[in-house]
Amino acid sequence: MSFLEYRLKTAPTGARKILHLNWALVLLLAAIASVGFLMLYSVAGGRIEVWSEPQMKRFAAGLVVMFFIAFVPIWFWRNMAGLAYALSLLLLLGVEFFGTVGMGAQRWIEIGPLRLQPSELTKITLVMLLAAYYDWLDIKKTSRPLWVLIPVALILLPVALVMGQPDLGTALLLLGGGAVVMFCAGVHWLYFAVVAGLGGGGVAAVLTSRGTEWQLLKDYQYRRIDTFLDPSQDPLGAGYHISQAKIALGSGGWTGRGFMQGTQSRLNFLPEKHTDFIFTTLAEEFGFIGGISLLILYVLVLAFCIASAIQNKDRFASLVTLGIAATFFFYFAVNMLMVMGLAPVVGVPLPLVSYGGSSMLVLLAAFGIAQSAHVHRPR
Amino acid sequence: MTRTPLRPLARILSAREKGENPDHIEAENKRLRAEASRDRQRGRAEGRLLILGFAFFVGFAVVGLRMGDLAASVPEEPRSFASGAQISAARADITDRKGRLLATNLSTHALYAHPKQMIDPPRVARELAALFPEMKPEDLERRFTDGRSFLWLRRKLSPEQMQAVHEIGDPGLLFGPRDMRLYPNGTLGAHILGGSSFGAEGVHSAEVIGTAGIERAMDARLRDPALASQPLALSIDLSVQTAMREVLDAGMVMMNAKGAAGILMDVRTGEVLSLVSLPDFDPNDRPNPLVKGDPADSPLFNRAVQGVYELGSTFKIFATAQALELGLVNPDTMVDANAPMRWGKHTINEFQRKNYGPKLSVTDVIVKSSNVGTARLALQIGAERQQSFLRRLGFFAPTSLELSEAPGARPLIPARWPEIVTITTSYGHGMSASPMHLATAYAAIANKGVMVQPTLLRREGTVEGVRVMSERTAQASVEMLRKVVTEGTASYAEVPGYAIAGKTGTADKPKRTGGYYKDKVINTFASIFPAEDPRYVLIVTLDEPVDTSGPEPRRTAGWTAVPVAAEVVRRVAPLLGVRPQIETLVPDAVSARRN
Repeated sequence: MSFLEYRLKTAPTGARKILHLNWALVLLLAAIASVGFLMLYSVAGGRIEVWSEPQMKRFAAGLVVMFFIAFVPIWFWRNMAGLAYALSLLLLLGVEFFGTVGMGAQRWIEIGPLRLQPSELTKITLVMLLAAYYDWLDIKKTSRPLWVLIPVALILLPVALVMGQPDLGTALLLLGGGAVVMFCAGVHWLYFAVVAGLGGGGVAAVLTSRGTEWQLLKDYQYRRIDTFLDPSQDPLGAGYHISQAKIALGSGGWTGRGFMQGTQSRLNFLPEKHTDFIFTTLAEEFGFIGGISLLILYVLVLAFCIASAIQNKDRFASLVTLGIAATFFFYFAVNMLMVMGLAPVVGVPLPLVSYGGSSMLVLLAAFGIAQSAHVHRPR
Repeated sequence: MTRTPLRPLARILSAREKGENPDHIEAENKRLRAEASRDRQRGRAEGRLLILGFAFFVGFAVVGLRMGDLAASVPEEPRSFASGAQISAARADITDRKGRLLATNLSTHALYAHPKQMIDPPRVARELAALFPEMKPEDLERRFTDGRSFLWLRRKLSPEQMQAVHEIGDPGLLFGPRDMRLYPNGTLGAHILGGSSFGAEGVHSAEVIGTAGIERAMDARLRDPALASQPLALSIDLSVQTAMREVLDAGMVMMNAKGAAGILMDVRTGEVLSLVSLPDFDPNDRPNPLVKGDPADSPLFNRAVQGVYELGSTFKIFATAQALELGLVNPDTMVDANAPMRWGKHTINEFQRKNYGPKLSVTDVIVKSSNVGTARLALQIGAERQQSFLRRLGFFAPTSLELSEAPGARPLIPARWPEIVTITTSYGHGMSASPMHLATAYAAIANKGVMVQPTLLRREGTVEGVRVMSERTAQASVEMLRKVVTEGTASYAEVPGYAIAGKTGTADKPKRTGGYYKDKVINTFASIFPAEDPRYVLIVTLDEPVDTSGPEPRRTAGWTAVPVAAEVVRRVAPLLGVRPQIETLVPDAVSARRN
């Protein structure tokens, strides 16, 4: 898709690239981020300087990064993939040793004033590396066991490191994003079926082993599962987030209580109300209609990404676009399911809406790569 | 898959015949093959994308449907079913015999903090300290910020305090419901009720457990969830208890006593209608036990049950009753009362070294409270029979009262029982028992010789007792006791309309170092009323009383305990519905005219 110029024979160069950016995608991202600004303003009790303003600054910075990345030809990013992946692994190891502990988990590394969350970066570099790998690999070899094991190892390495932090949410996102790239690259479906079967069997084994002699988890871990399945069992403990979020969503109803009228989140019933659980504020203040509108924005982002990937004849470009789209989707899905009590609380922000620098910056950088893929696609 | 050869021989040959370049055929076939491969790849990729898109769609659909589901739901505050259920806060109320509340539960809240959820710990610390003077802001702030995730701030909050804490408005300050035991009558019945405190404490509830008195003795019953809604009815009558406490309190002041105890008991059922020990305390705010000094000086000490005293001359009636029962004497038999009486190296004196001799009738032994006369009777009875009679009257074991303190209040029995102990025991020295023991034994006399175990719980229906003496003996004993009031040492016990029978007792207080104080006494008046048809036993005991209204201090029970007991009867008998015996009115002019 291009704007203002038709039937370009070659990829655009110089300032002309601006015309060939995927502007619809940029607008969608801005719209989603704006929802975030609005909600952060409301959650802060009508003060812009608390969360909204820093978030706007981050978004502006992120847009600059996105445009910069978009202007660099996509083949450069393909060649950089291995290096970027190695660098992010190093940073993950760095967190392990020098990281700052925050909120019960070791996630940050501080470089001067910059507070970097390498696990966020890894989500993108992993997708890039996998896309580059399948671009390089002879298509015929795609489903051979050895050539399947390599990307599996590439995925599991950062997953193991992230799990150690511990950050279950990011680990899930890495697994999901990697799996989608492999799936789109055409790895035989039997591999996926086997993994899914093993996963399901594992869950079943864990659940049936409870109370027997070969019990696989500790008792407290089972209790966490119980709490997830029925949060009302422990409404003031582990089930607190979920119960309160459900109340917020329920009290929002179809049309919501109106902007700045939310009680559940503004009266501090909800912890993390400006980060992972920001959706509850939206749902309470704008109700089902507001929630569905945001959901449609996310659907459109994905739709544009998939359309761009289909158009693209370059294997790396389309795979990396799909991988980024998938990561974005998993962000959204895991957060929403968590907030709505369909998944355990694992600590994944709502992409572009939740307050937080690393994920916003990394997501916009990722969309920069998707834009670069779009701009520099072979004509 | 069969692959078409790139250079099919037939076509190449025919092309060569036509003079065409056969390489074109190969190029054409190569192109077709590449296109087919690309289409396959494309088809597969598109299939994959379709599946992926479908998966995304399902994800979005699930989220959207769930959103709608929640939007349509009625928001409901979660209630804690499971958590805290193991701590049961239910505790039955306690009422008096007429259902008036003695102990109940009040829902209050405890305050605790989750410092990690606190938005502004310094501000919270400051504002909390302003509300609760016992908290220090620096101290609170340090505890809020030292990394702990939970801390208790206050066990009990009044509703106003709770509102004030609400208004601080920090999410890190949380309230836990907490049932508090409340004794609405304050000090009334303090020693009966005892007190309670929190046992296992959780955030969602706290267990209330009895720490003393009936709260502790009946703890299992009070905490039984099945009976939580049924209050425990005591035998106590709140209005009688009030009157008794008031009179004893005033009497204690008037007689300069340091303590007082009173027991009123229904002789037919064994129900204790009132039990007072002074000084007392407020069970809502139970004081700590004394760490030094005599525990008997603590207000927590229940003189009526725990106080084991030499009860003095009140014991004499047991000697005469036993002598009558054994047929050794009748009320008019004259016994040797020559004082002082020598027994081995011991001398037995009468009070103030009087001599009632040479002979007194058995009735007069009681009326004049003759030590020597009682001693002679005791010697006739003998040590063995005396012990067995006192044992049957319950003097050798703790009372069965439903108080946690009762089993520990054992009477002090002499280790050996030579004849001199037989003599001293007969007039209430050398052996100690609690006023409750005395009440139980007097109740047996009053109840026509049938002894009923005392209780603090309301009894329904008839009560089985044990006969300890014949009805005749009991009747004769009551008559003798009546004469003590009409002509003997307890003349102040004459209350208009109510015939009281009773016996005074004055015992020197034993020194801790051995021997007896000259000027410290325990005065007891054990009484039965109405004398013509005994229904109630009243014991009044004063600790170290002195009546200073006369020219010289008087320390005998007749001057101290008796007037107090008489006042109790005057106040209490109407409350109990005892019909006063007043001479029938002569028909006057008014009624005459009506006829």
